[in-house]
Amino acid sequence: MAALIRGLRAGRVLRGLGSVAVQGTLSPQCSNVRRGFHRAALLRLANDSKSDTSVPPPSYHEVDTAGESSSSSAHGESSEDAQPNTSFQDQSGEHGEDYETEEQLQARILTAALVYCVCVVNAAPSESTGWRFTTNHRPGFTDEMLIGRCLQGRNCISKKTAEFLRDAVEMRLRMLIPYIDTWPRAMSILLLPHNIPDSLKHLSTMVDDIWYYAGDRSTDVNWYTRRAALTGIYNTTELVMVQDSSPDFEETWAFLDNRIKDVVNMANTAKQVQATGEAVVQGLMGAAITLKNLTGMNQRR
Amino acid sequence: MMRVDHAGEYGANRIYAGQMAVLGHTQISPLIQEMWDQEKQHLRKFNEILAENRVRPTLLLPLWNIAGFALGAGSALLGKEGAMACTVAVEESISEHYNSQIRTLMEIDPEKYSELLQLIKEFRDDEMEHHDTGLEHDAESVPGYQLMKAIIQAGCKAAICVSERL
Repeated sequence: MAALIRGLRAGRVLRGLGSVAVQGTLSPQCSNVRRGFHRAALLRLANDSKSDTSVPPPSYHEVDTAGESSSSSAHGESSEDAQPNTSFQDQSGEHGEDYETEEQLQARILTAALVYCVCVVNAAPSESTGWRFTTNHRPGFTDEMLIGRCLQGRNCISKKTAEFLRDAVEMRLRMLIPYIDTWPRAMSILLLPHNIPDSLKHLSTMVDDIWYYAGDRSTDVNWYTRRAALTGIYNTTELVMVQDSSPDFEETWAFLDNRIKDVVNMANTAKQVQATGEAVVQGLMGAAITLKNLTGMNQRR
Repeated sequence: MMRVDHAGEYGANRIYAGQMAVLGHTQISPLIQEMWDQEKQHLRKFNEILAENRVRPTLLLPLWNIAGFALGAGSALLGKEGAMACTVAVEESISEHYNSQIRTLMEIDPEKYSELLQLIKEFRDDEMEHHDTGLEHDAESVPGYQLMKAIIQAGCKAAICVSERL
């Protein structure tokens, strides 16, 4: 239980360079896709090759200042919002260079007290789910953005949605792989009482984003249950991953598969129970009316 | 803001549902049905707005579900006048709430929120219409009208307050 809570808090801080910075730059009228693009523009960096040059951090610190410095880069990049999906990857090289100086500036600011490393992953659009994301990741703060096709809202979790959730969580956790050795320490930093509001906010933003782009448009209590379920899945899988030593974390992905299956089963079972309950109630009503007829109570005198 | 409106329309829906459950087979039922349909339409609109703007629905929705239904059914048990009195009280609260929202939005930025303002004004007018309908149908003749009205309005205010935060 303690481990679960720890895990719950652990993932939270890391998400929100973008979400922290985005608050200031977006107007409420922006559509959600535009918001996704905003974030992509904010946090997009060069491609994979850059990750080779990143420096592993020897120590961690609370990164409160990261929010402010990232918002300056946010303002610079917020004009790039209207680009179509394909342009991100194509232009990632050039934009990467623009960003590099900002990142270096940030690096100088932050390495005064702490060391951080930046790695960027550009994932190609997946054909089956039609989404792509980019992230700016650093230990202490991580953001995830999913820019996806909007699916219809559903009450049960369809196979496509389940796959999307699985892929989203897997992608997000794969970003931890370069730092997996020091990740437990990062998690413990996230649990510091000083950091907990931020980490909670980032976790909830991430989970909300994932569900939104998976197509969830619910406006009732399902909103809460779905996000709670995904939070649980994410945190437990993260904990498993930290202790996993199998090649390419196969066991972690298997664990994730099973958890997603569990949640899907739960949702389907709940639906079935509801349907059964309704049928039972109708049966009872029918029986009551029959009884009333038999005893003559229904007759009007 | 949208969260409260959504919760409010949801509650109103449940109140009418409760009233229909008790008074469904009487003379007054077509009238209640008509008001209920308008509320359903309002709720649909708010569902859309919530989904579009990624607003979190209030955590207390199940509570409003039960409370609204209980209120509607309970007031309907006092007869047609009771149901109408409940309608009058609730609609008055809701209209007041919409009015204050309109005032707030006007203060902040009328142009930016013009569409929303239009929508809220329209809904407020619908609710006022329900209120007047209730009055027309002998809402005031129920015994303890003032007391009932006061209690229901206090409950509505509390609900609005809580839903804003939770």
